[in-house]
Amino acid sequence: MVDLSVRLGRLSLSNPVLVASGTFGYAREMEGLVDFTRLGGIIPKTVTRLPRIGNPPPRTIETASGMLNAIGLDNDGIDYFIQHHLPYLRSLPTVLIANIAGKNEDEFEEMAALLAPQSGIAALELNLSCPNVSGGVDFATSPDVTARVIRRVRAACPFPIIAKLTPNVTDIVPIAQAAADAGADAVSLVNTFVGMAIDWRRRRAILGNKTGGLSGPAIKPLALRLVWRVAQHVKIPIIGVGGIATGEDVMEFLVAGASAVQLGTVNFYDPTASMRVMEALPEYVAQLGATRLSEIIGSLQP
Amino acid sequence: MTLHVAASVVEQVRLARDTYRIRLHAPALAAAIRPGQFVMLRLPNTTDPLLGRPFALYDTVLENGEVVGFDVVYLVVGKMTRRLAEIRVGEPLEVVGPLGNGFAPLTGLGHVGLVAGGIGQTPFLAYIRQLLGERGYGGQSPSRAVQRVSIFYGVRTADLAAGVDEFRAAGAEVYLATEDGSLGEKGYVTELLRRHGPVDHLVGCGPEPMLHALMRLADEWRTSCHVSLETPMACGVGICFSCVTRVKTSDGWDYRRVCVDGPVFDAACLAR
Repeated sequence: MVDLSVRLGRLSLSNPVLVASGTFGYAREMEGLVDFTRLGGIIPKTVTRLPRIGNPPPRTIETASGMLNAIGLDNDGIDYFIQHHLPYLRSLPTVLIANIAGKNEDEFEEMAALLAPQSGIAALELNLSCPNVSGGVDFATSPDVTARVIRRVRAACPFPIIAKLTPNVTDIVPIAQAAADAGADAVSLVNTFVGMAIDWRRRRAILGNKTGGLSGPAIKPLALRLVWRVAQHVKIPIIGVGGIATGEDVMEFLVAGASAVQLGTVNFYDPTASMRVMEALPEYVAQLGATRLSEIIGSLQP
Repeated sequence: MTLHVAASVVEQVRLARDTYRIRLHAPALAAAIRPGQFVMLRLPNTTDPLLGRPFALYDTVLENGEVVGFDVVYLVVGKMTRRLAEIRVGEPLEVVGPLGNGFAPLTGLGHVGLVAGGIGQTPFLAYIRQLLGERGYGGQSPSRAVQRVSIFYGVRTADLAAGVDEFRAAGAEVYLATEDGSLGEKGYVTELLRRHGPVDHLVGCGPEPMLHALMRLADEWRTSCHVSLETPMACGVGICFSCVTRVKTSDGWDYRRVCVDGPVFDAACLAR
């Protein structure tokens, strides 16, 4: 028997396979396709303080082994989330990690305070890094702002805090370090890489938002390298995200230094991938001669 | 209940220029799917193409009265459909479905007009059979819902027309239009419909400009009208929020997902 459980600061998971925000809807859509008991946890779509209509379509376009998206945080706001999505989400037999994005520090704090009295939330993931919304949501390009948001959210709610960071920066290490210093329990690395697709015949950007975030297998090596770099410098646990689609992908991220992973785009093209990936892990862990998955985290040979 | 299955290709038949009918063995999915619903099809063991693509149910396939599979009809237009046309009998495809709301089960209507443009005819064969009581879907026994079904079908040119004989055999009256006049009447299908005159209910599927012309005509005639929309989709199951369209709300409009709230919408609900 291989022990798959992992600890992310104050958060414990029975296995390291999470599903990424924005790639699993509000979980209800996946009922019947996915056995939620087999997931390490669910991170529903980002919720904002007020409803957001989102970006004009087209919102996604496939690229080589990947896709660009510019959904624009289309959601009905936190009041609706608490009333209509949370009752269902908290009833599921798995860990719930709510994901929030504020337009400013005040909104982050306000949302954390609104969620604080709610039962059934195991942790908060802060979307500091959506590349597709104007109005300053790209908090995680600055270590100082990242730290301030995390401190205020920590003070406003009892939940473990996960900071989801953007790769669209010169150096991600100081930002991850700032998150750690401010009291984040873990960092999610990484959100999507900003990219573009063009219809040259019409001389137009394909996405309604013109640019979008690249995800899928195409970005896996990029995400893996950032996880590895941060793991060498920053002490808090890392959740690896970026193009993970198989059990072997998960093993690469664990060896690089991630303590857990999120499956994202693969949920779109293979809705049952999360279960298959989880089931593949014990055998792979055993192949490395380990009995606990935690033994292999960050075990990359020098 | 949405299923995720590997389905093997039973046959692949060319229906018209660049247009194929692919038949998949998938008994459980085929027994559940209804006209107007769709499936996501994906090639296994590749990440390019990466995402599944939505295809409407063309019709279910019966063997000795048992539902054993289903057909979709596609036009070769891009990366995925080019690869699909190369798939051989016996090879598997990954299928997620049935998806979407499907066409409304109409009752007590005299004459229903189905209006198709381009490759938008594909959801209508099963609907014709359902409305005329030729075949039951999703476990329902066949029952005739309307007196008459006509299909108004427009393509650019004659060799792109696919399925015309099947629509006739299913009991529909077929009216054809081509932009170059090489088959049926010359001009747009909505002009053909206008010359034909009002029916009791309209259902459209095709390019956006055609659907807009159809909805304007339905407004003018004060005829109820449903449209099946096609928007770029990444997942088909409601988790990605890509495929949105503008739907009227009490205080204006909001984007709604075509894959779960549609693909069939009452034209009166769409914010145009």
